[in-house]
Amino acid sequence: MGGKAAVILVIGFGIVLGRIAFNMNDLETKAVDNVSYYLENTIAHNLALAGTNAALSMVYQDSTIRGTVTNPPQFTSGPFTGGQYTSTMTDVGGGLLRLRTVSSFKSLNDTVDVTFTAPGVLPFSIYAWFTNVEGDIWWITKDTVWGRVHSNDTINVNGSPVYWKKVTTAKKFNPKPGYGTNHAIFKDGYETGVHPITIPTDFTYLINASTSGGRRYTSEIWITLSAGTAANNDGQVYVRNTETGPIVDSVSLSDPLFNGAILGNQRVHVKGTLDGKLSIASLQDIYVEDNILYEKNPLYYPSDDMLGLIGQTNVVVTDNWNNNHDCEIDAAVFAASGSFGAEHYSTRPVSGQLRLIGSITQNIRGAVGTFSGSTILHGFSKRYRYDTRYDNPSVRPPFFPGTAPGTLQIAGWWESFRLPRF
Amino acid sequence: MSTIIDIILSILLGGILLLVVLSANDITAETTYMLNGDLFVQQMLVSVVQIVEGEIRNMGYGIPDSLGATVVVAQDSAIAFLEDLGLDGVIDTVRYYVGPVSDLPSTQNDSDRFLYRQINGSPRSAIGVVTRFQLRYFSQGQADTLIPPIPSEDLVSIKIVEITLEVQNPYALYRHQSQVEPGERNALYSSSMWRQTRLASQNLRR
Repeated sequence: MGGKAAVILVIGFGIVLGRIAFNMNDLETKAVDNVSYYLENTIAHNLALAGTNAALSMVYQDSTIRGTVTNPPQFTSGPFTGGQYTSTMTDVGGGLLRLRTVSSFKSLNDTVDVTFTAPGVLPFSIYAWFTNVEGDIWWITKDTVWGRVHSNDTINVNGSPVYWKKVTTAKKFNPKPGYGTNHAIFKDGYETGVHPITIPTDFTYLINASTSGGRRYTSEIWITLSAGTAANNDGQVYVRNTETGPIVDSVSLSDPLFNGAILGNQRVHVKGTLDGKLSIASLQDIYVEDNILYEKNPLYYPSDDMLGLIGQTNVVVTDNWNNNHDCEIDAAVFAASGSFGAEHYSTRPVSGQLRLIGSITQNIRGAVGTFSGSTILHGFSKRYRYDTRYDNPSVRPPFFPGTAPGTLQIAGWWESFRLPRF
Repeated sequence: MSTIIDIILSILLGGILLLVVLSANDITAETTYMLNGDLFVQQMLVSVVQIVEGEIRNMGYGIPDSLGATVVVAQDSAIAFLEDLGLDGVIDTVRYYVGPVSDLPSTQNDSDRFLYRQINGSPRSAIGVVTRFQLRYFSQGQADTLIPPIPSEDLVSIKIVEITLEVQNPYALYRHQSQVEPGERNALYSSSMWRQTRLASQNLRR
């Protein structure tokens, strides 16, 4: 009898203690399971992000991809073992494309959606500063850029230049931001290794515009801009065949039949004050002979005056008496295969300030002067200010060149997230 | 005689068994309490983290560049940002901030407080109880640490947010006064901490 009671007692204790041990084990398991769940969530999410980045690099190589972009087999090693993802590109209408990446890891799925504006033409005037080749020119302390900056080349920085808008480069920064001499202040961030943007050198569309509604001149011309009366958009353009010769043609900017394009086959020399919208192009070089101003300065007044100076090669600030006592250019400048710079920049006299209100696009970064430390030896000191009206891609001087279709721009980035398990 | 000895031995053995059971009960109760506390704290932390992390990752979604800064308030323990929450083209202002400890007078923990989430001007909702909600802000590449209060013109520079969250059990394990070091609280609270050091919304970098 006593032996049976002892067995029952032991079994009873065993059951009670076993139950207690089970409950404690369960609590411990739940605590670990909770953290493990978060980890698995994070892995599923990281897998979706990794897939998105892989797909993005493919889309940037070929922006015409639609449908499945990438769908690699299940991972068999590494932290994503057992995981998989699929990325698809879809035209969702409204001028938008969507890259959707869905990952699966164990029983969890995660989604990342990247929305792009469909390929379109953006004017180069959206950039305060655009270069294809930076050369051995360095951004230094006191350089301030008020609009977007892009270079297809390495951007050299020595000091603390300030960039108020986003800076992109198809290559890199030298040195890396925050390292060595690069103390640049990026107010709106930067991005390296973006797809290069080609500067168009085919001016056929400008030639067509100049011959159908605009003006085209086959010889070298001198253009004087006149603001007209105090009324808005009643500016005049006077054209001469020599600097001081008689006016051979004039254009009223208020003429509804004039489309805003003037093109010269040879050099085009420009000066004066603009009231209206105009683009002056040359199949060679544009020469700035004196101040080129807007009737209403957009930095201080509401202004709808816009000028594009478009050189197939260079846009040059002439070495003359007028320009050697400061020079102001109110225009969006475009030098397709050459530079925007000052004539004889390394030998001309000290010329004061070169003030520009607009934007600069050039193939090769040009020089406007030479310096020794902070002392100007020849040429100009620069004061460039971005014309923020051009931040809006739909605002530009008539026929101002744009980026070739195909450059995708990310409009939104959305990542799914899991609500808590209560 | 042998019966008396049996009874005495039984009482002795029964007493020992009872002591073992009582002792086991104490240990079990304490361990269960601690494990429960840990579980509670971790569940609460993960819940809060999932919401905060998920939403801040998407800040700036659907906000056009022309609007300027996406982060509109950047303080040590509060952040407000713009986001199209409903994916419906309507821009919402999302705000996270911690309330005062006086909001939770009934808990033993004297440091816990609600973490509030507020959308536009709607009434705030408490999404969790935390003892620490700390934010740090960086420009891209963490080149600059932006120290609050951040001037409004510099808000656009915020590209990375570091979030530190700590959750403690509202109920304490008290220690004997002799175990308390100077400056320490006399109670122990199971605690869990989470830090996201590089929480960067891609929408701030586009």
